[in-house]
Formats: sequence, structure tokens, C-alpha cells
Amino acid sequence: MKVVVEGLALTFRTAAGDVHALQDVSLSVGPGEFVCVLGPSGCGKSSLLRVLAGLIEPSRGSVRITREKDAERPLTAMVFQDHALLPWRNVFDNVVFGPENRGVPKSERLRLGEEVLAKVGLTGFEKAYPHQLSGGMKQRVGIARALANDPAVLLMDEPLAALDAQSRLLMQEELMRIWGTFGKTVIYVTHSIEEAILLGERVVLLTARPGRVKATFGVDLPRPRTLGARAESEFIRLEAEIWSLLRDEVLASDRGQTGITR
Amino acid sequence: MLMRRALGWATPILSLVGLLAVWEWAVGARILRESFFPPPSGIWQQATMLYASGGLAGHVAATVARLVAAFLLAALPGVAVGLLTGLSATAREAFDPFVAFIYPIPSLLYLPLAALVLGPGELPAALVCAVTPFFVIALNTALGVRSIDRPTVEAAVHYGATGRRLFQKVLLPGALPYVLVGFRVGLGLTLIVLIAVEMVSAKQGLGALLWQSWEILRVRNMYVGLALIATLGVLVTSGFDAIARRLVPWHQGPARSTRRP
Repeated sequence: MKVVVEGLALTFRTAAGDVHALQDVSLSVGPGEFVCVLGPSGCGKSSLLRVLAGLIEPSRGSVRITREKDAERPLTAMVFQDHALLPWRNVFDNVVFGPENRGVPKSERLRLGEEVLAKVGLTGFEKAYPHQLSGGMKQRVGIARALANDPAVLLMDEPLAALDAQSRLLMQEELMRIWGTFGKTVIYVTHSIEEAILLGERVVLLTARPGRVKATFGVDLPRPRTLGARAESEFIRLEAEIWSLLRDEVLASDRGQTGITR
Repeated sequence: MLMRRALGWATPILSLVGLLAVWEWAVGARILRESFFPPPSGIWQQATMLYASGGLAGHVAATVARLVAAFLLAALPGVAVGLLTGLSATAREAFDPFVAFIYPIPSLLYLPLAALVLGPGELPAALVCAVTPFFVIALNTALGVRSIDRPTVEAAVHYGATGRRLFQKVLLPGALPYVLVGFRVGLGLTLIVLIAVEMVSAKQGLGALLWQSWEILRVRNMYVGLALIATLGVLVTSGFDAIARRLVPWHQGPARSTRRP
């Protein structure tokens, strides 16, 4: 297994008391697998990614990520929801930011940056600054930055959530294509059932807060997939099945947020 | 677009030329008294005469040298204190009382004290001119540090920018647009205080020229001084804007759009 998460719990201490974001989450991801984590808003799915990225420490439990090659290679690279590019760096310098900080020589960075930018379809935009790009292009840069760091596991935190519906469709197709060429291990957080089925080989459904694994679904659709996969009967069946389970969690999450119980 | 740009330059120039033309005409038509309001052509003549006699260049050089010195005295510690107070809440709380007590006082009032302690000369003058811009630069720099988006910093750390790299590659460039706004506003304020300091305590400099001309009622020389001070102000700020635009090509915020302090 590439990623093994065992008994993970995460509690935030706030002025209003403890908030239990995650409770006893266990999860394994195999090498090269694309796993989508799906759950209602505020269920702690982003927190799960942040723990995996090492950005926050879990309160309990363990995360084990195996890297098979050299130890220089980072364990994870995250694609952030709001892209989080450095506004003062142009596209190219954003993309090679990770390797630059690891001390990768300039000639190697040049080659790597060009290669990754070509893969995400941004050749020619090296000198542009983030504010000059569309939302979809910014997120491509975010993906290129993560790929350039060559992590053992790619973490994606609702990378398409900030895009309009049409750019979202385009980027979903792009992601399927990019993943096809890189074959990386990916953990992808989303709140869209459709996106989870379209992209994932496996869909992990989390409960409302505190997040626990409610169910796991294998997605038995041929790859490479296109948006056309949405019309397949297996897709429609899965979508209905997942929604029937997710619906309760969304309602529970809503009640939790308003604080009104019946 | 190009048309709009050309007009953008033409409008202020035309309005300035128009004002000067009306002034010239009003003096000729005896609506304005020449002894109080000498015509622009007369002021220009006087300026060229003063320049030819060798008196003017020295005044301009003295003012420019003091401006640069005072600005540097303000900018270097201003950025340092700004970075510190932007990063650390404790530093900010420690700095706050100084801002509250010293910043609101017109800094010209420190001149007697500075001259008493340091003796008369260039150093007390430059220090007094540096007080207000120091605060402006420090406050803007701190604001710049705090304006850096949290997720951006988190992402930078995630991609390996820690310690010195975080400072060089994230905090400094992130704060830079605000630092430049501080510099620009600070430069204008330095000039304002400097002219006042020169009026009360200098033999050379545009402020001194203005004051000496007033004392002996050389009205035209007063206008030459005024015109040069205004021109210096415009050159300094527009020159600075041009530099700032090159330094922050990614930025469309304050450093670009603020046209007045």
C-alpha cells in the first residue's frame, strides 16, 4: 500500500470548545490509485488532506506514506482549492518553486518546468503572472506545480470548486488526461458526486462532522474515461447509490451547522 | 486605448498651460498686481538669470542631497521595523505607543531639540525630516506583511519555503507593493518637512531660497523657489512610480493605482 491511514482523529480546540473534525478514519490507497474522498461541506475532508500533507498534526492515529525511490522526493504535493499561487512569481517560477527550494539545479528545473507545463497545456504562458490567467489556467499551474515536485502522492483539495460550471467540465476532462499520462497516486477531495465517480477508481464517502468513513465504492468504469461516461448505466447507478447515503449526511451537516435539533 | 493614453497625458498639461496663460493675461490686463503675482514669463526669466549667475544649482543640489539622505535614514529602519512589527504581535504592541505619541507631532517641532543635542548642521536636519516618513514606511511595510494571504504562505511552506527562503521568497516580495506605497508617500512627506526645515535653519536649499527671498521681498525669487519645489515634487513621485511599476509587475493594487499620497 502506498498510503495507510489508521485510526486518525483530529480535534481543533477553539474558544467555543473542542471541534471534532475527524474521528477514527482509516484508509488505504494503493500505488497509482486515484481515490476520491467525498463528503458534505465541513465534514473534515480538507482537514484529512492537510494531515496527509503534514500541514497539521493529527490528534490521534497514524499516517504512513511509502516512497519507493530516492529520499529527496517529497512525500506529498498539494493542489489547493484556491490555487494559492505566489502572485509575484510568473507561471514558470511558480511551477518550479518546489524543486527550487529543494536545490534542484537550474538546467534541470528548466527542463522539468517545460515538461510539466506542456503536460498541463500551458506552454507559452511561462512568463505570465497569475493575475493574468483565468481560474482554470491558474489551477492548471497549481497542478503543474504539484507534478513538478514529483511527490509520492498527489493531494488535491477541491481543485475545481472555484471554477464556473463550464470550466469545471473542461478541467475534469483535462484531469483525466493528465492522470492518464502521469499515473500518479492521487487522493482527491470533492463535494461533487459526479466528479468523484468520473475521476476516481474508488470513492470514499465521509460522514458529517466528525468525519468517519461511511462507505467505499469501487468505480467499475473503463479508463481512459471521458465526460461521456456520465451516460453509462453503471455511472447512473453509482450516483444514485452514493446520493442515497450522502443525502442523510448533508442533512445531518445542515442541522449541525444551524444548531437546531428536532 | 492609445488615444486614451495620449489624452491622459495631454489633459493635465493643457490644464497647466491654460492656467499659466490666464495668469499671464490677467497680469497684462492689470487684473492681478504684478508686484504680488509676477507673470509666468517674468518668473521664467528670473529663473534663467538666477541659474546663469550660479546661485540656483547650489540650492537645488542641497535640497536633493538632503532629500536622499533623509529618505534613506527613514527607509532602512522603516522597512526593518515594519517587517518586525508585521511578523510579531509583541513587536507591534511594543511599537504602538511610539506611533501614538511621536507620529502625530509635526516633525519640524523636533528641530530645536535635535539641534540642541547634535549641534547645528546637516545631521539634525536630516533626522528631523526622517521621522514622519519612517513611521509611514514602517506602518505600510507591516501592513504589507500582514496582507499576505494565509493560504499562499501555507502553500509556499508546503513547497519547501521555510526559514530564510520563506523570508526572501514570500514575505519580502509579498510585502513589497505596500513597502513601495510607503516609500512613495514617505518621499512626499520628507520633501514637505525638508522645505520647512530649510526655511528655518538652512543657508542653502530651495526652502532657504524661498525664505531669504521673502525676507528681502524678492517676490520673483520666491516664485522661482515655489516653482522648483513643485517641480521637484512631481519629478520625485512620477520617477518613483516608474521604478515601482518595474519592481512589481505582478501587482495591480496600491502601488499602481495610488496616484496621490
